[in-house]
Amino acid sequence: MNMPKRTVKVLCGPGLVLLALVLALSAAGASGSKELKTIVIDPGHGGMDLGAKGKFGTLEKNITLAVSFKLKALIEQNLPYRVVLTRDKDIDVSMENRSAIANNNDAVLFISVHINGSQRKKAQGSETFFMNLNASDEETRKLAYMENTSAELEKQIEDKNKDEVKMILWDMAQSAYIKQSSQLAEEIQKELNIFLGTENRGIKQAPFKVLKGVACPAILVEVAFISNPEEEQKLIKDDFQRKVAEAIYQGLKKYTKLFS
Amino acid sequence: MDRTKAILFFVLVFLLVVLAFIFFKNSGSERIKKPGEIPQPAVSTQAPIEKSTRKVTLFFLREEDSRLVPEERNIVSDPSTVREAEEVIAELIRGSQTGLVSSLPAETKLVQLFITKEGVAYVDFSKDLVDKHPSGSAAEISTVYSIVNSLAYNLKPIKKVFILIEGEERETLGGHISLDHPFLPDYSLIVKE
Repeated sequence: MNMPKRTVKVLCGPGLVLLALVLALSAAGASGSKELKTIVIDPGHGGMDLGAKGKFGTLEKNITLAVSFKLKALIEQNLPYRVVLTRDKDIDVSMENRSAIANNNDAVLFISVHINGSQRKKAQGSETFFMNLNASDEETRKLAYMENTSAELEKQIEDKNKDEVKMILWDMAQSAYIKQSSQLAEEIQKELNIFLGTENRGIKQAPFKVLKGVACPAILVEVAFISNPEEEQKLIKDDFQRKVAEAIYQGLKKYTKLFS
Repeated sequence: MDRTKAILFFVLVFLLVVLAFIFFKNSGSERIKKPGEIPQPAVSTQAPIEKSTRKVTLFFLREEDSRLVPEERNIVSDPSTVREAEEVIAELIRGSQTGLVSSLPAETKLVQLFITKEGVAYVDFSKDLVDKHPSGSAAEISTVYSIVNSLAYNLKPIKKVFILIEGEERETLGGHISLDHPFLPDYSLIVKE
């Protein structure tokens, strides 16, 4: 039509810049891995933070790391995902940094691996948690709004403003993924029951510090009780740790199939 | 002259006596009134108990499952909610009298407790609550909700509970449950009989 030349130029300018940006970004992405999506695995505790302790001296932080290594290998061998660990040695990592690692890597799934502990010596079994904010009425209204509109919001917000909006929502990032997180928890819990034969403590919601700021479906598994001497003996065995990794892997595999 | 002086003297003495009588009578009646102002329960008439008590329900753990189990206890009743809340916490720390498992380390001390107009109870514990805590998600959930439920269940003005450690907000007790917000009670964790 009779679009003035100046408008065409004005439209072309930002368009070219955008194109260049997209190319640069995809090139940067490709250099690391061929656009593989990232799963972040979070081995609970580490360093000075020992986590729960067993009667025989087993430390939660060591078991979570061992299981996480096995899980990473299983995923990378069998699924088209890249796995990033929030720690790959015995070091302290802050809660904020754990969720930041997930968000900075554009993680599609976040799995925090823990071993349970209780004041009760007989406490046993495995359970899978997802986020619950235990919010006030006002917060609940805000969250309900976000949950219902987060997909809509994504579309409406201009790309240039997205980062800013993300920053504002950072602290409650997980609230937009509660439904998917509960599904992921359900799939993983089913497999834990099958593979481990530990008591089924089910899926539960609790306000976990480490899950709060994660901007993707996120769960926290609590595998058996280190505070229960019988379960502690199981947890130190390589074979049991392998089964834990296998169970989580099968659960997340089933979950990803639901969404592909 | 002398007569008028004498009359004046007697008038003054009389006035002084009257004033003294009024003064001592009032202060005396105040002394009698004071204990009467405190609402006395019916029990006080039959037993010479100086302080009245009230029944509260505390929440502990039991070995069979991870649910919270109620245990009744008498505390000294007090018109101040803060006082009664302090007593509830002290009893929780003292532990169960019926063999239930305590969800707070025995070494824990209550540092301070206050309640806002909005009904948020800020409960400040000594660092023992963190240092002596067994860690683990299940353990942290038990600790948090035995505190929150025990307070909110017994004391109507308390709607939510904010847990502090040595006067400061703490991220978590042992790496799991976030303590950066006040907790609403969760009575679904209590055992159903």
